[in-house]
Amino acid sequence: MSRVISKSSREMQERNAAQELQDLHQYLTFTLGGEAFAMDILHIKEIIEYGGVTEVPLMPSFVRGVINLRGAVVPVIDLSVRFGRQPTQIAKRTCIVIIEVSFNGEMQDIGVIVDAVNEVLDIPGQDIEPAPAFGSKIRSEFILGMGKVNQRFVIVLDVNQVLSLEEMSVLVETDVSRHLDA
Amino acid sequence: MNLEKAKQTFIDEANELLLAFEDDLLRIESAPDPERPEIINSLFRAAHTIKGSAGLFGFDYIVSFTHVLESVLDKVREGGLTLDAELISLLLNCRDYVGNLIDALESGIEIDPARDADRELLLVRLQVQLKQGIGDPATVAGTPVVATTVVSVASPEPQEATATREADTVASDHWHLSLRFGPDVLRNGMDPLSFIRYLGTLGRIVYLTTLYDGLPPASQMDPESCYLGFEIEFDSAVDKQTIENVFEFVRDDSTVRIIPPHSKLAEYISLIGSLPEDQRRLGEILLQGGALTYFELEEVLRIQRAEQQVDKHAARPLGAILVEENVVPPQAVLAALEKQKQSDERKSNEHRFIKVEAAKLDSLINLVGELVIAGAAANLLATRSHSPELIEATTSIAELVERIRDGALTMRMVHIAETFNRFPRVVRDVSRELGKQIELSIGGGETELDKSMVEKLGDPLMHIVRNAIDHGIEPEAERLKMGKPVEGKLSLTAFHESGSIVIEVSDDGGGINRARVLAKALQKGLVPPDLVLSDREILNLIFEPGFSTAEQVTNLSGRGVGMDVVKRSIEQLRGEIELESEEGLGTLVRIRLPLTLAIIDGFQVVIGRSTFVIPLDLVIECLDLQTDSELLQPRYLNLRGEVLPYVRLRDLFDIEAPPPARENVVVVQYGNARAGLVVDQLLGEFQAVIKPLGQLFRGIKGIGGSTILGTGEVALILDVPQLIQLASAGERAELTRHLPRHLSVARS
Repeated sequence: MSRVISKSSREMQERNAAQELQDLHQYLTFTLGGEAFAMDILHIKEIIEYGGVTEVPLMPSFVRGVINLRGAVVPVIDLSVRFGRQPTQIAKRTCIVIIEVSFNGEMQDIGVIVDAVNEVLDIPGQDIEPAPAFGSKIRSEFILGMGKVNQRFVIVLDVNQVLSLEEMSVLVETDVSRHLDA
Repeated sequence: MNLEKAKQTFIDEANELLLAFEDDLLRIESAPDPERPEIINSLFRAAHTIKGSAGLFGFDYIVSFTHVLESVLDKVREGGLTLDAELISLLLNCRDYVGNLIDALESGIEIDPARDADRELLLVRLQVQLKQGIGDPATVAGTPVVATTVVSVASPEPQEATATREADTVASDHWHLSLRFGPDVLRNGMDPLSFIRYLGTLGRIVYLTTLYDGLPPASQMDPESCYLGFEIEFDSAVDKQTIENVFEFVRDDSTVRIIPPHSKLAEYISLIGSLPEDQRRLGEILLQGGALTYFELEEVLRIQRAEQQVDKHAARPLGAILVEENVVPPQAVLAALEKQKQSDERKSNEHRFIKVEAAKLDSLINLVGELVIAGAAANLLATRSHSPELIEATTSIAELVERIRDGALTMRMVHIAETFNRFPRVVRDVSRELGKQIELSIGGGETELDKSMVEKLGDPLMHIVRNAIDHGIEPEAERLKMGKPVEGKLSLTAFHESGSIVIEVSDDGGGINRARVLAKALQKGLVPPDLVLSDREILNLIFEPGFSTAEQVTNLSGRGVGMDVVKRSIEQLRGEIELESEEGLGTLVRIRLPLTLAIIDGFQVVIGRSTFVIPLDLVIECLDLQTDSELLQPRYLNLRGEVLPYVRLRDLFDIEAPPPARENVVVVQYGNARAGLVVDQLLGEFQAVIKPLGQLFRGIKGIGGSTILGTGEVALILDVPQLIQLASAGERAELTRHLPRHLSVARS
């Protein structure tokens, strides 16, 4: 009998641990235009120094170009332009964060330009507040929530929305035809 | 074993067999008589193998259907049915149906055989065939007479000795099974025990003796070999076929003998004679199991001894003896021999080809691509270092890399026959539907091209062929009037020509009526009324979107998908398509494709800070842009008296960097026209490994892909035909902007 109890209590413990792990995501924090953002680390493949970007003609301004990532050609997105702000100024600490998104059942790598990457943080689920209705000056569907870190807020981004290939490829297409008609 | 993988193998194999099946059916119609039996055999084998493999996976709905199909073919093979056009059509339908079953299996769709109307219909039609003809009652009942697997061991057994005893039958009402598993059975992944267990599900195993006489001394024994044999008494109401099927997968390398209940004594005699073990011992086993009574055994052994004294020279193959003794029908022996021959052939084929997963090959090609890029980078560094030794070393490495690249690419090459082979069927079906007689000739099936291209070539070719039959070749009456043979000629040819593959589809039909084409184009508003077009331009109107000359929309073509779609799919493969046509004599459609899709020879140019690559086979020459012509802002050049329109890529691509003092023109050929592309700087040739640009750039225009330069930077590859189209569309929009809408007729 006692063995049964001990076994089930151990299972309980394990389950609690798993639950905690699920609540406790790790986030990469970075700055862009002086503001702090966070992104679930599960989407991130690697971070590289900015450089070697080839411009692609006729693209909307949020598409900076393409880079060679160990033999694969990966598009680079200017996140700041995607948020409706000014293009990112390339500086010493500018980085490209390589993010994996899925589209039509295929995995695709996309690079995003950020001003600087800061650190990887554990943010427990209860420390993430819902996104404010307005005031963040970013489309609300891009925001997963506001994470509390050291009494300050970081904007936790919804990667699948921010880097929605479906939306971005339509934007590319309309921009190409606009260019050609002009 | 990974079942999914095995299933995929089954699907691949079945598809291959179905292809061969179709091919055979189409071939047999015109095959000379002596070849027919071989083709029929091959048809039967295909059906049989699909049935057998499907049985292994428990795809019962495939087994039960192919079983009936096999029965019909068996009857054909025995001469009980003639393979006429009607039966061939039925068999083709059956093939399609089985193909559908396999497709459904591949895509994971569940099939409910009870609700399958096609299946019912086909089965009924097959049953009708089975009941027809002159076959014996056994086949009519749907149970095919299939070979007892005969052991081809020579046995010193003259006919005379047993002939008189034929009437003697044994008392036992059990089946007797004599199994000698081949040494490789375990290595092939078969467990003898599982066969016996499965046998046990079909009836009751009354008695079983394990024979381990073949077992060598322990020191010589190979633990991976199987040395076992079994003698089994089996009580069951199932038929012989069912029991044989249990051993379907070991039949090739094992000895399986099945003696039905109440068989003739002679069967036991030949059994004992043919088995390697001591006769006395075998006799005892048979006695113990109850297969033979004591008296029967005595009788058998007495005959056996008598036989052994008869002249040994009279030894004949067991097969012959069995036939003479009416133990097995002659066709069964033929089938068994056929089976042996077939497995021999299979073995020799295995030696010539290795099946490799396409993904593995793709990753190899990718790696070779990386190697080409890395090699280019090393070359660049070597050149900069000005060290002759280093340059020499990298040059020889580059040469080897090039050879490896070529080798790797040829591995992905397949014969175009794979695509061509489906056309005899298409031509047959379509020409029947239209009531036309057409003879199809296929040439150059061994021409090789990239596998990925073969897949994408099928549909456009299909369209061209259908068009040729539907619109090209005239109805019989008209042909006779023209003094042409009734039978229309259609030919599909492929060959290599200077780094590209040419595929030609030609017919001896009515050709293209220029006046009609022009009238149609005018009617559809594709050309302005007063425009004078060259002969070629008129022909090319056929490739315009929205063009179709068929006055009648038929079932076959004219479904709204026109030659423009064909043209676009060929261009997507970086190919070209052109037409030649002589009115009254026929039409020829020529498709020209690059050898491979993965790596091209490119020509690097620079505009501003960006490098672009133009496919080298499109580049004709390069020249300086004369600045004086630019002052007048015309968009054409005088190239040795020829008008050469040109495009400023800087303007088209909105590149902001200021132009250099001297610009260059790259003259490119697209289709039959030429144009100039104005760039800043020419860098020269290099090998470009094509990298796709990905989903984000689906809507991009004028750029076909990307590649990685020796410096590690990405360069974009220009899509020349699209670029020219863009430029001319842009200019047209500019010029017609002030015109009222209805006058701005498009022309390209």
